Amino acid sequence: MGKNDKVSGNPGAKVWAVGGGKGGVGKSTVSIFLAFWLARMGKRTILMDVDLGGANLHTLLGIKSPPRTINDFITKKYSALENICINTETENLRLISGASEILSLANLQFAQKTKIIQNISLLDADYIVLDLGAGTSFNVLDFFLAADKKIAVLTPQPTSIQNTYAFVRNAVYRKLSRLSSRDPSLHALIKTSIDTKNELKMQTVKELFQFIQELRGEDVAESLRKEIEEIRPEMITNMVREPRDKNAGRIIQLVAEKYLMVHCADMGGVDYDRYVYTATSGMVALTRLDQSSDALACTYEIAMKLLS
Amino acid sequence: MNNQVERRSHTINRFLDGSIAIDSIDEFEKMLDIFPRNPAFHKAFADLLARERSFDAAVDEYREAAGLFIDVGMTLQAIASKISEWRIAGPSHHEGPAFHSALREGISGDIPVHNFFAKMSYPEIAAVIDGMVQIRLPAGKRVKKFYDAENDINFIVSGALNKRTYHHSGKEEEIRKISNTDMTEDDFFGDIYPFEEEKRSRSDIDTVTRVELVKISKPRLMSICGEHPDVELLLEEMYKAQSESGKESSSRMVRKTVRYEVPTKIKIRSFTDRDGSKNPLVIEGITRNMSLGGACIVMGARYLTGPSANMVGRNVNIQISVPEAEEALNVLGTIVWSNEVSDEERTTVVVGVEFKDMTVLDRERLKKYCYGSNEADNLIFNLWESLMKA
Repeated sequence: MGKNDKVSGNPGAKVWAVGGGKGGVGKSTVSIFLAFWLARMGKRTILMDVDLGGANLHTLLGIKSPPRTINDFITKKYSALENICINTETENLRLISGASEILSLANLQFAQKTKIIQNISLLDADYIVLDLGAGTSFNVLDFFLAADKKIAVLTPQPTSIQNTYAFVRNAVYRKLSRLSSRDPSLHALIKTSIDTKNELKMQTVKELFQFIQELRGEDVAESLRKEIEEIRPEMITNMVREPRDKNAGRIIQLVAEKYLMVHCADMGGVDYDRYVYTATSGMVALTRLDQSSDALACTYEIAMKLLS
Repeated sequence: MNNQVERRSHTINRFLDGSIAIDSIDEFEKMLDIFPRNPAFHKAFADLLARERSFDAAVDEYREAAGLFIDVGMTLQAIASKISEWRIAGPSHHEGPAFHSALREGISGDIPVHNFFAKMSYPEIAAVIDGMVQIRLPAGKRVKKFYDAENDINFIVSGALNKRTYHHSGKEEEIRKISNTDMTEDDFFGDIYPFEEEKRSRSDIDTVTRVELVKISKPRLMSICGEHPDVELLLEEMYKAQSESGKESSSRMVRKTVRYEVPTKIKIRSFTDRDGSKNPLVIEGITRNMSLGGACIVMGARYLTGPSANMVGRNVNIQISVPEAEEALNVLGTIVWSNEVSDEERTTVVVGVEFKDMTVLDRERLKKYCYGSNEADNLIFNLWESLMKA
């Protein structure tokens, strides 16, 4: 991914992307809480729903029918993302809703995605929190890779851990693939290594780099290695019910380090909180949760860590 | 075969929590055939060779151990192996820098002790290693007493220690206990920095298991820092990282699991008679490591049939629960060594099983599991089993 893909062109605005492989792990909830705390700390924050196939961030914020959505930007009704921001109940917190009735928006075309990414950099904010969709489509990965903070949310379940690892792995290979797009032989080697059953028996990123080093020299391998080191995803384990559940993030950290040469940071856990469920079911804005809420308290600590 | 195993089993001694020590070179070579890439085995073998005064062979084994430790990211253990090697035969002009370069390349994660060593230049690390002393202590030994002068810094190479830290009000009767923590490999103790302060220990520190330490005295370290000022910066960074990560108790558990390869759930059916006609004893356990040739297995809590040495020579059927397989793998084998490992709460039995027979299909499945293309998922599954499952 070239430098031009960096979301944040505005030097003051930091972009946090919240993703993860599996649906239902609480990416939207965590995104809202993080954005809420940023706003409460006095940071001008925009929460952007990039889950274009199943946008519902507005609902979790208690907004039934957003007056403007990202669809209006894509269809050129509004020329800038800034114009489709809507205020929320929380001071300093605005929303860009992803709600759309256009199904094809879930499969954003390259030009549309580029237009969104470029426009994010023009937003007038201190922090922009992107709530990404589930899965590992190129669109999701590209938003994730372009952000300043790359946050992956998982739950303490084996399937979620596997999916989150797959998400990080796909992000690594997506980045390598884009970096090598103008170098056909290198690109082919990277594409081959994505399938772990490849005939060259390259099963890890380390092995891939060894191949690259042998075939293309130390400089090429080293430059790719440095690019991968920059990914540094931040893990948040959601719906933690007991202390050992917090090890989920550490599992990703260990496995990613070993097989992907990626240094993940374990940001800790968000406690399971039945009030989140109650608020969601009752269509009550999550930002109205009592601040004694366990989940909200945990995300405050995480937001502080991410800020430091 | 069983008679040979029984005869050989008499030579097996116990030491080190979970690892084995054998007082016969032949036995060690056999174990190394089963576990050729276990650095702790190579180091223990090197120790034995050194005791037997086979110094050339010991040097080779220490070197092998150091390389394998680096491969699995165990920086401090690699250094300890090199110290032993270089005590016998000092490094050549190119060997020292080559080790230093391998050490820096093998560094992974954010372990303060690893960073301390790996960030040093070659002249710096050479000076530090030269000043280090190796210490081996049995379980239950007091290493540091409350109010002892803090005169050295100790790095834990292997084993576990308990640290009871007290708040001292100034009057002896008002000493108040404030915390109790366990320390394991890659931790360090000894509050010697900043150097200008004359500090006294705020803790009692005792060994819980057999322990290996490497230590360096405060005066020696001060002298090194005088000559290499960057070492002092690294020392300061290490103390700072230690105080910041003091609350992270779970990380040690995670680290240890990874280093000892992936654990896998198994069920052992042990036949108490030679022909297998009696009802077998069924025990559950977790593999510490495993290959196509055998496995090191930590028995579950239900094993209670007397001295573990009685198990040696028994034929066993092992069911190995492999992820993604509908049925457990079935492997026939023989217990070739056993070892009792005790801590404060209970005694655990660790056994070594040599695999004898399995179907071609199971061999393929085991091969795929051990070396296959799905290693990351297997590791996730196994870390899940050991860290998160109730």
